[in-house]
Amino acid sequence: MKKISRFALSIILLAIAGKVIIGCAPKAITKGEEFPLMYEETPLTILIMPPMNESTAADAKEYYATTVQEILSHWGYYVFPYEITADILKMEGIYDAELVRNIPTSKFREYFGADAVLFTTIKKWDLSYMVLSSTLTVSIDEELKSTKTDQTLWKYNGTVVVDLSGGNAGGGVAGLIASAVITAAQTAMADYVPYAKQANYRALTSLPFGKYHPQYLTDQSMQFIDQTPK
Amino acid sequence: MSIKFLVRLLLASAISLLSISCASQKPMYYWGDYSDSLYDCKKKPGAETLAKHKAALEKIIEESTKREMRIPPGVCAELGYVYAAQNNSKKAIELFNMEKQTYPESSLLMDRLISQTEKRTNYGVSSGNEIDKKAVENEKYSGKGAQ
Repeated sequence: MKKISRFALSIILLAIAGKVIIGCAPKAITKGEEFPLMYEETPLTILIMPPMNESTAADAKEYYATTVQEILSHWGYYVFPYEITADILKMEGIYDAELVRNIPTSKFREYFGADAVLFTTIKKWDLSYMVLSSTLTVSIDEELKSTKTDQTLWKYNGTVVVDLSGGNAGGGVAGLIASAVITAAQTAMADYVPYAKQANYRALTSLPFGKYHPQYLTDQSMQFIDQTPK
Repeated sequence: MSIKFLVRLLLASAISLLSISCASQKPMYYWGDYSDSLYDCKKKPGAETLAKHKAALEKIIEESTKREMRIPPGVCAELGYVYAAQNNSKKAIELFNMEKQTYPESSLLMDRLISQTEKRTNYGVSSGNEIDKKAVENEKYSGKGAQ
């Protein structure tokens, strides 16, 4: 009896130690340490900028843009209605984040009342074909800049890689090629959108919460994995 | 008995650890079909997809109110914008004000949109985009293209 309980105790201790080790995987940092300016400035209103597209998919930009506002709102910020603000910017001749970058961010405070502006860059939005598998990759860099100080308040990356090949049960080389062609043909733009959303979620994991979130100003010690874009 | 206890304890701790690391709160907002109907608008712009998106926006407001949740940011404003484009200024202004009420921090932009819509009504002009453009141009911020 005593032996068994000692055994039990050691197993539990081991399990806890294991969990702690796994939980503190390399390069885990806290929101408070990494993004102190977020807690100093506590921006409330965020203006989403037209995305910058560095991927090979020309229409990725428009589709990706439809996913940002909804997801960002769950972090507790006031997010300006993108359909309206993008229109206004377009009428001003600004439809591209590259053009936006030349404008002092303070202008967006004056015109919209934005505390911060969100720049997003589509790094990857593509399929890659290999002999044995094909993968779909969506990768997004996000950066929040203060309209007060023009400083970067927060930045992070979200990447989703999906293996499209699935299980290949026989069929030889011809079968493999056929299935690769099928996946390519089936991967319409629509199929990217859920992954773009996932990539957004991933990118936002390190973003401190805003005023409307119940954990506003209490998430400094929340950990995340360091993958800030260099 | 103690083995049973041990198994239970392990299970319980595993479950509690799992629930800690996957703690998911109930979403703050009801967004309904927003992203799907918006996506369709981009893919196939036209009266039909716009009508669907408009309906999705109406439903978000309706459901949020019913569930006693705050209406998500931007939704009232976006619906107002659709009404403004369809020359229903009264409804548009009502919705812009609703956005302002829910989110006072949106006032600057909402006031711009309200005065734009009022201007349009006063001139009695019926076409949409041209006037929008002028109204915005009148308020153009000066630093455009500044190096």
